[in-house]
Formats: sequence, C-alpha cells, structure tokens
Amino acid sequence: MRKRALSILGLLVLACFAAIAALAQNSGSKTKTVQSTNSEADEGERRFQQNCGRCHNPPDALSPREVKAVLQHMRVRAMLSAEDERLILKYLAP
Amino acid sequence: MNRIVVLLAGLLCSGFGVLAQSNTPDVPIFSGALAFQGTSSAGVHSYTPIIVPVFVAPLGDHWLVESRGELQGFVAREDGTTGPYNAQFFASFDYLQLDYIAKSHLTVTVGRFLTPFNIYNERFPLWIANLVDTPIIYTIGTRTSGSSNGGMVRGVAVARPKWNLTYSAYASAATTVENLQAGRTAGGRAAVFVPEAGFEAGVSYQRFLQNGGSNASGFYFAYQPPAIPFDVRAEYAHSPGGQGYWLEGAYRIAPNRDMNTWLSRLQPVARVQQYFKGTPTSIDALPSVNVNQFDVGLNYYLPHNVRLNGSYGRQYSTAGNSNIWNFEIVYRFLFPAWPGGSK
Repeated sequence: MRKRALSILGLLVLACFAAIAALAQNSGSKTKTVQSTNSEADEGERRFQQNCGRCHNPPDALSPREVKAVLQHMRVRAMLSAEDERLILKYLAP
Repeated sequence: MNRIVVLLAGLLCSGFGVLAQSNTPDVPIFSGALAFQGTSSAGVHSYTPIIVPVFVAPLGDHWLVESRGELQGFVAREDGTTGPYNAQFFASFDYLQLDYIAKSHLTVTVGRFLTPFNIYNERFPLWIANLVDTPIIYTIGTRTSGSSNGGMVRGVAVARPKWNLTYSAYASAATTVENLQAGRTAGGRAAVFVPEAGFEAGVSYQRFLQNGGSNASGFYFAYQPPAIPFDVRAEYAHSPGGQGYWLEGAYRIAPNRDMNTWLSRLQPVARVQQYFKGTPTSIDALPSVNVNQFDVGLNYYLPHNVRLNGSYGRQYSTAGNSNIWNFEIVYRFLFPAWPGGSK
C-alpha cells in the first residue's frame, strides 16, 4: 500500500516538474533573443550558465591564473570543449 | 597492489617534475570544502566533520594533475542510543590522476579517478549536492569505492550548435590497498546534452570483472530550464543486487550573484526514491530489503561560499520505518597553492 502511495507521489512530483518545465520552456523562448550578443565575454557568460551554472554560481573574484586552473579542471570534469574554455575564461577573467 | 600505489605516487611526482620545469605562468590551486554534518537516523545521532581537499596543477595547456582526498570523522554513541560517544576517523583518496587534454574530442586519464557511472558520483561532491544523504542506489555501478584505478578516455564525441554527445570509457584494476580500493571493472557512459534547453540524458554500463562477473546499467536525466532556477535530476540503476531510482527537484530562488535578500538565498529541495532488492551480496552495500524514501530539505546560501542544509526524510521498509534528520554547514574554499598565484 505504502509502495503504491509512494509510486503515485513520485509520479505526481514528476508531473509537476514536467508542467513547470513546459511553462518555463515557453517563457524561455520569448526571452532568448533579448539576451543575444556578439561579445565574447557575453558568449562566455552564456556558456557558463549553460554548462557550469547548472551546478554552481560563478566563483568569487579569482585571478586569471586561478581561473585558468579551475577551467582546465572543469574541462575534464564537465567535458567542456576548447571553445567553451576559451570563452568562459573571457567571461570570468576578462 | 603495491605497484598501484607506486604508480599513483609516480604520477604525482612526475606531475610536479614537469611543473617545475615548465616555466609556465600556470598556478596550482587548492580547493575543496570543510563541512560538519549532524544526523539523526531512527533515533541514532551521529556527527561527521569532513575535509575534502582538492589539488589541481595545470602543466601547460594540455596536461593536468588533479587530486581529491577525504578526511572524515564519525562521532556516535557506543551502543547507538546509549553509552559514551566514540570517534572514528577515515581517510581516502577519491582521485589522483594525470590528464592529457588532447582536444575537445579526447582527454586521456591515467591513475585513480571517479568512476563515471550515471551522474551522482562525479558531479555531486558535498558542496554541490542538494541533500546530505547519498541516494540508496549510489553504490550500483560505483563499486567498490566510487573510484577506479586504471585508464579512462572521455570527451565530446559530437559537437553541434544545438546539441552534443559526450562519452567516457574506462578500465580499472582490482586494488585492495587501504584508502585506494577499486574493483576490476570496465564500463562507460554516453550522454546527449542540449544546452539551449538545459536538458541532458545519458546511459551508463559497467561490467564487474570479479566475484563471478556481473553487469550494472543505468539511465539518468537532468533538466534545468533556462528561464527559471529550477533543477530536476533523476537516476535509475540496475544490478543483480537490486535496482531503483531517485528523482530530485530543487528551486533555487536566485541562481546567480543577485542574492541580495534573505529570501533569495533559500533553496527548497525534494527527493523521492525507491529501491527494489535483487540478490545482494556483501560487496554491493545495498539494502537487503525493499526501501521507499522521501526527503524534503531547505538550503540557505550564506555569503562567502558558506551553505547551510537541513532536511527531513521518512524511510519505509520491511526492516522498519524511520525518520532521518540531517543538518550540514559547508564552506567551499579555493586559493592558489603558492604565494603570488592570486595576481
């Protein structure tokens, strides 16, 4: 009985997640074009949010050398591309 | 077994050797976290101070030495709920690896590394994880210690503007040396990531090549819609010892630096998980009964990389139902490994 109740609870939670995600997807598509920019730092910020921002905030003030070490570390951990690394470096240590 | 230890030590020494000769402006860094956890599980209280140091030394643009250890105490009453408090201490190496970053498509790793099975093991160190407790199915595919000793290749197999395909493949030797345990295994993971949608899904497989051999497989997804700070993550894993899933959602009120009010620093979290026993063995570290559990928690992000976590969980099983309370304070640190590195 409890197992069934927990299964139903799990499905309800999943359904809520899906509904919120669908709403977010709709509102997100309206705002995407506003954020577009050509600057490398802005593109780096976008890539940071898409990749790194999924798990954590931007680090507090770091020197370019520290950022380089962090980015190489995360390039292996999060499988960032060379282009991601270069642009995120521009964003975190302009 | 000693050869493994010598190999790992050799990797670290060779890394320092290359670093000393490289004359590059690279700076090694120390990072990691300090944490203190308090747990009350079925009326049994325990306290766990933890230090997780991470060392990263770039050696030019292509080589990298990385290491993470874990020093952990465990303080609890001698007989569970009665008797004097006793303290035990544990130490382990999570990884000590040398990476060669050939290009976006290929990174070669040798040494001791985190076993890439699903996402929890690699991506949720204690300063990232939303809840203190690891999922029940965590040990599936990560035996015997969450780490592997051997070699791994990984990278972005296919990169397109709208999506990319990542992969990891590895082989590990059996090691029983204290703090460096690993199983004789081979396996891999493949995942599709759609950055614009914030969606990732992947599959994992591991062949356990000892104790008669067995297979573990898994599936996961993670979804962070770009427009709102809402995270959904889930894993399913199967092995002869058992199978199960967890599904977690977290709403981060301010996902970036704009955390200016006390309310914007809050993050409610919820997780549901179910586990169904198979034929567990002593090395599985899986429950011997079916277990259902839900957890709700609240995280608070303080300034200066300090986070408070609190959660309540209710576990249902034929071995008895129980309440699980957790509290944690985590401090995330990062500083250069030698003076002048922060310039």
